[in-house]
Amino acid sequence: MKKHWLGLIIAIALLSSCTVVKEYEKVNLNDPDMALTTKKSDRFETNFQSYREAATGANGGKTGGGCGCN
Amino acid sequence: MQLKIKIMKNILFIFTLFLSFNLFAQDPPQADSLVVYKKRVLETTELDFLMSYYTQDGKNAAVSGGIGTEELQDITPTIIVSMPLNDDDVLTVDAGISAYTSASSSNINPFDSKNPDAFQASTGASSGDVWANVVLSYSHSSDDRNKIYSGKLSVASEYDYFSVGLGGTYTQLFNQKNTELSLSGNVYIDKWNAIYPYELRPFDSGGPGLNSSLFLVNQISGNVNYAPDFKAFDSENRNSYSFGASFSQILSKRLQGLIVTDVVYQSGLLSTPFQRVYFADVANSYIDGFQLADNNEQLPDQRFKLAIGGRLNYYVNERIVLRSFYRYYRDDWGINSHTTSLEVPVKISQRITLYPSYRYYFQSAADYFAGYEQHLSTEKYYTSDYDLSEYNANQYGFGIEYTDILTSKKIGKLALKSIHLKYNYYERNSGFKANLIAGGVKFIIDK
Repeated sequence: MKKHWLGLIIAIALLSSCTVVKEYEKVNLNDPDMALTTKKSDRFETNFQSYREAATGANGGKTGGGCGCN
Repeated sequence: MQLKIKIMKNILFIFTLFLSFNLFAQDPPQADSLVVYKKRVLETTELDFLMSYYTQDGKNAAVSGGIGTEELQDITPTIIVSMPLNDDDVLTVDAGISAYTSASSSNINPFDSKNPDAFQASTGASSGDVWANVVLSYSHSSDDRNKIYSGKLSVASEYDYFSVGLGGTYTQLFNQKNTELSLSGNVYIDKWNAIYPYELRPFDSGGPGLNSSLFLVNQISGNVNYAPDFKAFDSENRNSYSFGASFSQILSKRLQGLIVTDVVYQSGLLSTPFQRVYFADVANSYIDGFQLADNNEQLPDQRFKLAIGGRLNYYVNERIVLRSFYRYYRDDWGINSHTTSLEVPVKISQRITLYPSYRYYFQSAADYFAGYEQHLSTEKYYTSDYDLSEYNANQYGFGIEYTDILTSKKIGKLALKSIHLKYNYYERNSGFKANLIAGGVKFIIDK
C-alpha cells in the first residue's frame, strides 16, 4: 500500500513541474477525444459496470444511489 | 476502523500536496484574471437523444442462491437538454427510463410457474420493472472561467427502490488553465420497498409458516420440515455519502493526465432482500424442481469504499488519439480491484471517427461471499451474489461517430451535430456474458 501512495506522490510532483502550454498551443489538446472526462455516450457502459461489478468510483460514474440489483 | 482513519489521513495528506504544488505553480494573478473576451460557456441549447439495449446471461443468479439463469434484457431511452441561461450559467435536465425484463428476478416467486426451476424464467410480477431517473444540474463559471461551481439534484424510482441525491462540485483552474483541481460531494438518500423470496415470507415473525397457502397448495419434497430462520429487515433505508477529488494537468502540447479519488461511505440496508442463500448444513427442501431458500442474503449495514484512478490521453497525430485509464479500488468488505482500459479513437475522415476499445477488470471476493451450498447457517453475514465473487472480466468495444462541427444538416430548428453508435461485449471467466449496444444523436438548437 505504501508503494501505491509513493507512486502517486511522485506522479503528482512530476505533473506539477510541467511546462505551461499557452492557449494558442492547445489545438491538439482541445480535440474532443482528448477530454479527460467520460463522454455522455459512455454512460450506459459505466452504469452496467457499476451495477455488475463491486468496484465503483474514480471513473466519472456515480458512486451511490439507486439499486441496480437485478 | 483504524484502516478507515489511516486511509482518510492519507487522503488529506494527498489533498494538502495537491494544494501546495498548485500554489507554487501558479502564475502571477494578473496573467490569469485579465478578461479580454468573455466567451459564453455554452453557445446554444444542446439536445442529446440516447438509447441503449443491454442483454446478459450467466448461470449464477443471486436470486436463486448462486445457481440459475441470470438472463436479463434492458432498454434505456434518455434525453439530455443543456440550456445556457446567460454567459456564465448552464442548466441541464437529464431524464431517462430503463425498462427491463429479468428471468432472474422473476424467480423471487418461481411458484407461479407450472415447473418452478432456477434456470427458467417465471411469469410473475417481478419478471420486469421500469426505473425512472431525472437529474437537474446547474453550473456557474466565473468571469475568468477559472472557477466553476455546480450542483445537482437527482431522483430515481423503481417498484422496490426510491433514491434522492444531492451533490455539488467546485473546480479551480490554475496555470493558464493547464492545471485543474476539482472537489465534489454527493449524498444519496435511498429507501427500499423490500421484497423477499416468496417461500420465506410466511416465516417472518407472526407469519403462518407451513400453514401458508403456498405450502398447502404445493407439496414439499426432501426435508419436509422446512423451517427457515427468516426475519424481515427492520430498516429499509440506505444512505450513501461520497467525497471526490480530481487533479488534472496538461503535460505537453500532446499529453494530459488526470488523477481522481472517490471515498464513499454507505450505511443502512446494503443487502438485497430478495437474494437467496442455501446453507451446507441445512437439509434441502423443494417444491417441484425449485430448492426453497434457507434464508435471504445478510450483509453488514456499513461499507467504506476507496477508489483511486488515473487517465492519460495522448494525441499521436491528427488521426489517432490514445485514451488510457487505470483504477485501484478497495473496500472494507475485503474486495480489492484493478481496472484498466485503452480506447484508440481513429479519425478515418474529417467527420467520421472509429472507437475500438479494450477493458480488463479484476476483483477479489468479498469476505462474506461463498457459492451455492457453501455457507454455514452459523455465519453472521452471507451472500451468494457472484457480483461479489472473485473474477476477472474482459470487455471489447467498437464504436463509430459522425460529427459535423458546422451543423449543416437541419431538421427544423434542430441542427445535427453528431451521431454515435457503440457495441460492447463483456465476458467474465465465470461464464457470465453481456452485450451492450448504445447510440445517440446530438442536436443544437439554431438561434
